[in-house]
Amino acid sequence: MYQILVIAHIIGTVLGVGGATFAEIFHIRAMRDGVVTDEESVTLKIFYTVLRVGLVLLVLSGFAFLIYFRLEGHEKYLYNPKLWAKMIIVFIIPINAILFQIKKIPAWLATPISLTSWYTALILGVYRTIPYSFVEIMGIYLASILVIALVLWRIKDHYSLSRIKS
Amino acid sequence: MTILYAMLILHIITGLIGVMSAFSMLIGFLRRVPKIGALKGWSLVSAISFILSWISGAYYYVLYYGGNVKPIILKSAYPWAHQIVMEAKEHVFLFIPLVSIVVSIGIFLAGEDILNDKPIKKSLAWLTAFVFILGVVISLAGVGISGAVRG
Repeated sequence: MYQILVIAHIIGTVLGVGGATFAEIFHIRAMRDGVVTDEESVTLKIFYTVLRVGLVLLVLSGFAFLIYFRLEGHEKYLYNPKLWAKMIIVFIIPINAILFQIKKIPAWLATPISLTSWYTALILGVYRTIPYSFVEIMGIYLASILVIALVLWRIKDHYSLSRIKS
Repeated sequence: MTILYAMLILHIITGLIGVMSAFSMLIGFLRRVPKIGALKGWSLVSAISFILSWISGAYYYVLYYGGNVKPIILKSAYPWAHQIVMEAKEHVFLFIPLVSIVVSIGIFLAGEDILNDKPIKKSLAWLTAFVFILGVVISLAGVGISGAVRG
């Protein structure tokens, strides 16, 4: 049972991280000519669907782990700061999507929040013993969002400059 | 597996399905042209899941938690997990199934009017957001309470 949960959790994370990454790569590529065509829009929707399936799998398998810990008498894991950081960050993913949808958060911030959240969830899942407190993990997470925002801004800037030149 | 543990698992899983359905509904409302059929479907799944979570949670609470789990938490290093978190959870939770039923009834009664009537669409979307946010907070509270069960 435990192995099934691990596999489901990994598949969820892989779909989420992969979906978020390829959605952004494809979006940047689609915006090279300044317009997202109908066909590109359909492809992006597929990536977003994959991402949502990943999120559902991640959340369901994650809570299944919590049930497993509770029933097996490993309740101490439920107060692990890494677990709480991961839960808060996974909660930020749908909140970010909603805020972006109602235009309460700009694209330059929503995209790095999504990408950083997915990658942070992946890293927190891989490292079993992270010697950082909840506040430290969240601090690194927030700083990473800014770094990713800068990197994406540079990439998009590069593409828009090459578009103007051509 | 005993029926008590089955009820605990049902409580958690149906609660999660309810929260995820509320999120899907919210995204549905935020579309330029909401799909009414999908909204009706998600609202039904959400309401039914929260009712099931309510019943199974109540079964576990009345028959097991009060006599077996609560004393362990109160004697542990985290008595606040029951005194504050559980006390708040068991009362605040009641909003969720009832509001989700209201949302479901609202969607079924309004039907296609949701497409043109902005105030009704906005009101239902806000109620759904309330269910979603409260559902997430209650889920995290549940994790906090479970983590305090240490003898």
